[in-house]
Amino acid sequence: MNKIPINIWINEQRYQKLCQAGLENMTEEVLAGMKVLRVYCNEEEMDILLKKYPSAKYDQSTTKSIELLPAEVKNEIFNMVVKEKKLDIFEKFLK
Amino acid sequence: MNYIGHGNKLIKEQIMDSNESYIAIKSLKKIPISSRAARECIDLAYGFFSPLEGFMNSDTLNSVCQKMKLIDGTLWPIPILLDMDRDTINKNNLKIGDQIILSFQNQPLALLDIEEIYQYDKQKIAQAVLGTTEEKHPGVKMLDEWSDYYIAGPIKLVNEPIFQPPFDRFWYTPLQLRKIFQEKDWECIVAHQTRNVPHTGHEWLMKGAWFSTNANLAVERLKTGILVSCIIGPKRMGDYIDEAILLGQQQLNDSNYFNQEIHMVSLVLWDMRYAGPKEALLHAIIRSNLGCTHHMFGRDHAGVGSYYDPYDAHRIFDKIPEGSLNIKPIRVLEWWYCPVCQEVTYSGLCGHTRERQNFSGTMIRSIIQDKVQPTSLLMRPEVFQVMLESADKYGFGSPFCNEKYLKQRQPVFRLFPINS
Repeated sequence: MNKIPINIWINEQRYQKLCQAGLENMTEEVLAGMKVLRVYCNEEEMDILLKKYPSAKYDQSTTKSIELLPAEVKNEIFNMVVKEKKLDIFEKFLK
Repeated sequence: MNYIGHGNKLIKEQIMDSNESYIAIKSLKKIPISSRAARECIDLAYGFFSPLEGFMNSDTLNSVCQKMKLIDGTLWPIPILLDMDRDTINKNNLKIGDQIILSFQNQPLALLDIEEIYQYDKQKIAQAVLGTTEEKHPGVKMLDEWSDYYIAGPIKLVNEPIFQPPFDRFWYTPLQLRKIFQEKDWECIVAHQTRNVPHTGHEWLMKGAWFSTNANLAVERLKTGILVSCIIGPKRMGDYIDEAILLGQQQLNDSNYFNQEIHMVSLVLWDMRYAGPKEALLHAIIRSNLGCTHHMFGRDHAGVGSYYDPYDAHRIFDKIPEGSLNIKPIRVLEWWYCPVCQEVTYSGLCGHTRERQNFSGTMIRSIIQDKVQPTSLLMRPEVFQVMLESADKYGFGSPFCNEKYLKQRQPVFRLFPINS
């Protein structure tokens, strides 16, 4: 099944939390020093997410990622990654 | 003072003296018009569309569609039309020779002398101007939503708009701008059109264009200026709010990322047609009327989807007759961030094509939406700060248009009653 990324942008505060959890190597530098943590979901999980948050969309044309999720939702995803110390958290997140 | 605009015609404001307005309009029928038509009335009256003096008749529309020219041969790529529905025409018994008052915000705006009432095939306009009749093209959708009749004739503003803060400090008419350019002793002025809060890629686009425009002018005294010309028109969900755009652009000046001697910010009222290359020509015409000598064009200027090749808006300038424009295009490629060069750099110069990191509007939006401050390499911290302040003050908490902003935003300008 296709892996679809959700981009969690990493500022200094979030980077410190990742370092504390030993996850700093999971980030990728993508644009002018901006770091991103990509958390992946599959198509089925994406459909559930887009239904739950109608303002979000799958950006097919440029980034090929799920965009416009509310900031609080991305915060929850990030916090779960730090707590579980892994990226593969989506199934648990949706529950 | 040089007031010669497009088509080598003198720019003339068409504004009735306020002492005459009250009496002149008293007995005339008042016809409400759309916000687009109101913006275009204002543009016509102040000379942004010089040499046009009013809304186009059918002969002119035909000429613009078929030949991209006015009747007298002046280059003109986009029709400027006043649409009206049959009911309104019949209810008010409008006919050729009538004078009517076009009203907006329930106040009189402009006097129009009706010279023609006509219909024209919208599909023909769409195909000629936009190159498509597909409904998903926003310019086609706009045309489809217009009423089916067009009213032609010259207009005269009877009630000048009062621009509201923060728009007021960025509103300059063509005649005012020309005076300012003279006061600043600018010999060359390059226009940068924008509908964005600036990131560093935008900043470097402008800086690169400044170098191209300055060319071989002496540099001990700087005589080239950048006019940031923000398009103010209809907004869609997810666009930056107008206030953040203007104040963000101004912040680059206030924080001295641009030398204040060579940079200023202004606005133009315009409803984008997304007509790609033909719209690029119209934008050049408008800025030539403002007194600009050059206009920068990046990738896919005024484009949408994949209707136009990304550099069609560059190539069209090679296809028009020499001397048909009083403004030169500055054609620019993209700027990107290069992690090897460790700087924002020009795609035409940097050879690190595999390592390059492109500026992506969607990505930057995603970062801002996450309420994460971009790196200063990506967006100047002062610009980010003023964008957040604008979001709180004008955007109902967001720098991007949301439903609340679209419904409840403050008007860009107000019209007040004309008193005797």
